[in-house]
Amino acid sequence: MATPVIMPKQGQTVESCIITKWHKKKGERVEAGDLLFSYETDKASFDEEAKVSGILLDIFFEEGEEVPVLTNVAVIGEENEDASLYNPKKVSDNTAAVPENAEISNEVKKEEDVSQETRKPKESLQSSERIKISPRAKNLAEKLNVDYRFATPTGPEGRIIERDILELFNSGYVFTSAAKAEAKEVGNLKDVEPSGIGGRITTSDVEKAKESFKIQKSDIELSAQIIKDETEYEEAPLSNIRKTIAKAMYLSLTTTAQLTLHTSFDASNILEFRKRVKENREKLGLEDITINDIILFAVSRVLPKHKALNAHFLDDKMRYFKNVHLGFAVDTERGLMVPTIFNSNKKSLNQISKEAKELAELCRKGTINPDLLKGATFTVTNLGSFEIEGFTPVLNPPQTGILGVNTIVMRAKAQNGQISYYPAMGLSLTFDHRALDGADAARFLQDLKKWLENFELLLAC
Amino acid sequence: MKYDLIIIGGGPAGYLAGERAGKNGLKTLLIEKRFLGGVCLNEGCIPSKVLLYSAKVYESAKHSQKYGVEVESIKLNHKMVLERKNKVIKTLVTGIKSKLRKNNVEVVDGFAEILGRNKDGYVIKVNNNEYIADRLLIATGSSPFVPPISGIKEGLAKGYVLTNREILELDAIPTSLVVIGGGIVGLEMASYFNSAGSKVTVIEMLDHIGGNMDREISDILLNTYKKKGIEFELSSKVIEIKDSKVVYEKEGKLIEKSAEKVLLSSGRRPNVEGFGLENIGVEVEKGRIKTDERLKTNVPEVYAAGDVNGKLMLAHTAYREAEVCINNIIGKRDVMRYEAIPSVVYTNPEVAWVGETEESASQKGFDYEIVKLPMLYSGRFVAENDGFDGLCKILIDKKKKTILGCHMIGNYSSEIIYGVGLMIEAQMRVDDIKELVFPHPTVSEIIREVIFEI
Repeated sequence: MATPVIMPKQGQTVESCIITKWHKKKGERVEAGDLLFSYETDKASFDEEAKVSGILLDIFFEEGEEVPVLTNVAVIGEENEDASLYNPKKVSDNTAAVPENAEISNEVKKEEDVSQETRKPKESLQSSERIKISPRAKNLAEKLNVDYRFATPTGPEGRIIERDILELFNSGYVFTSAAKAEAKEVGNLKDVEPSGIGGRITTSDVEKAKESFKIQKSDIELSAQIIKDETEYEEAPLSNIRKTIAKAMYLSLTTTAQLTLHTSFDASNILEFRKRVKENREKLGLEDITINDIILFAVSRVLPKHKALNAHFLDDKMRYFKNVHLGFAVDTERGLMVPTIFNSNKKSLNQISKEAKELAELCRKGTINPDLLKGATFTVTNLGSFEIEGFTPVLNPPQTGILGVNTIVMRAKAQNGQISYYPAMGLSLTFDHRALDGADAARFLQDLKKWLENFELLLAC
Repeated sequence: MKYDLIIIGGGPAGYLAGERAGKNGLKTLLIEKRFLGGVCLNEGCIPSKVLLYSAKVYESAKHSQKYGVEVESIKLNHKMVLERKNKVIKTLVTGIKSKLRKNNVEVVDGFAEILGRNKDGYVIKVNNNEYIADRLLIATGSSPFVPPISGIKEGLAKGYVLTNREILELDAIPTSLVVIGGGIVGLEMASYFNSAGSKVTVIEMLDHIGGNMDREISDILLNTYKKKGIEFELSSKVIEIKDSKVVYEKEGKLIEKSAEKVLLSSGRRPNVEGFGLENIGVEVEKGRIKTDERLKTNVPEVYAAGDVNGKLMLAHTAYREAEVCINNIIGKRDVMRYEAIPSVVYTNPEVAWVGETEESASQKGFDYEIVKLPMLYSGRFVAENDGFDGLCKILIDKKKKTILGCHMIGNYSSEIIYGVGLMIEAQMRVDDIKELVFPHPTVSEIIREVIFEI
């Protein structure tokens, strides 16, 4: 007896897979356990083995075709057996994949010319259009308690037929009877999360959907109003620095593969250190060392151990730097500037603090030598003073990494059965995923976090 | 030993979660420090129902003449009632044990302590053994709330103040009993001991009995109890208990009430302390574990179901919560809905309700209408309840034409109320309900009668 081979379902969310290779040809003999075909989802690839022995009677999908899961892709059986019965393409041309129910398939046979592709339920509803529906489909909708206005018509001349209702029913859009009566004003079912018994859409789900539709609508109305008021704006040419920043940001985001990782560390140690510096500054002739200086120092010491982040990605090669040339973002009236502390890995904390202050001052005055705005191997940007708790820094290509520094928030931790609070400072690292893997970047952050939490040890290194 | 799931607590939430988890192939361990079945089975729902049923049989016998049955020398033998109670508990606990065994759930007797989390999972210590699991379900239940009343601790120590645990073990009916608290548990116990011959007084802080029971129903219940001889002191606050005298304040005056026994029935408190919740940082808010609609706590893969989350401290809520937990653990999205959870008072007459009361519906701004009928509209009710009218009251959402709440007083309402809960859950409209067929003659037909009043 002929046995259909189906596209397996890999995971709950996978709806279709692409056949990458057929390992057997039509007409060839296969044994149970033979490799039949390979296929892949958007994340992984798999091999499918034959579950029965026999002749590969027919193959319904070619290599490269996308096949919905649980669809017949081939048939194995005895020679001269009819495989066409299992052909999903043929079925969709004539009778469609409707459950084996004589009544239903009779109806569908009458209504021909149906295309396969639009079998997904319609998610948005246009109540104004006249809905064409076969009386049989209408009855079924009533019976199954689905709202036929959400069905995607696949019948002739855009008519909703019985199988569309079944598709809608199977796709989960089942209302409680009260919700169905209320559903008229729902614009989009895509965002409705059914919360009722057996996954039914309840009146409160409908209320929520209506609310969000209203919000969307009012957004549109608002936009329309803004467009109307043509006199309510002023235009100003972009400054050169803004043009440069715009170009750099756009280039950065369109030419690299950016990914950001977030973490936080216990800042008690560096806060305590800073306090002690402040108390002894004058006595020891120290700079006014800021938290940002401490971060710059720590980064300059940790980076050499993570060379993929102290590097430039040059499309076909990587350029790894022996020393750390640290860029740091400075907010100026004219716009963002990023001066560089060259060879920061060889400079003391006090030196870094002093140089950072001088460079920032030159940026603010607008008198900085352009050469000092180039050549960085890694950048640090700090939005902590704006009380930002997490953000996505944008890379400065060809650099492979940029570290965002966030504000300090109090967090709770359990230790020896006691809950205590500690100041947690957030770090957000964006890196070029072409240049390094997530785990490499994560290791850098982990290392940096460890040293910042034990900052005095870093000074001893 | 490594498990997929460790459940702490073998009450309704714990044992049902164990059954469902085992059935779904999760390697499951259940830890219980006292008795499987928890408060519900051992010192709550089930034993009190055994007592109340005996009271009901006794009362029926007393009034049997109304129904043409003559009975001589009627007596309630409390000792025999207790023996039967213990037998019922034993049968049910055995049933739970066998169900857990059937579903391959391991059960360990002992006190579970959460030590923390390591790279392999959550580490739990019981009787000096350590067990590890990927997931935890906290189902440690609740304990009677002991209000800060002077003399209460001494009373408990001397044995004349009782909680729901000790009162079920009393081998003799006290001549007099003061019940502190007029909630469901207090009323059920008051009702039994009244039938069994105690002089019962219920002292309640609020001006009504039955907690959030519908006021109209609660008034009918109060009058019925009063007719049976139970005394009520409403709007009264207990100040002190001394030498088996309860001192309470009513309308600014201090009153003393002597009683052989005093039952504490002033609510319950989730068990959240002493077993190491803090070692994994589970968030506790207002004395209960904070959970979301999927019963997840703030800690990954740690769930809390039943009384310990303090949402609705009822055994049947715990059952459903347990199922929601397990469904989410096995990857089936499920959320807990609390809108249609029924409440029942199993006294004679029974009271049952589900959904909104008039007060809560008004507070929430529903536009509703009320339809009600005496239970006498049911033929079977008339046949079996001589001399009592009963009441069935339904709140209808005017716009949606769905049921918002239903409140019933009269026997069998405990068995009928789930049907109305189903109508609420399914959001059936009045017209849908009118198409349902109810068996005739049954008391449940009262729902149909009320609905056809609209």
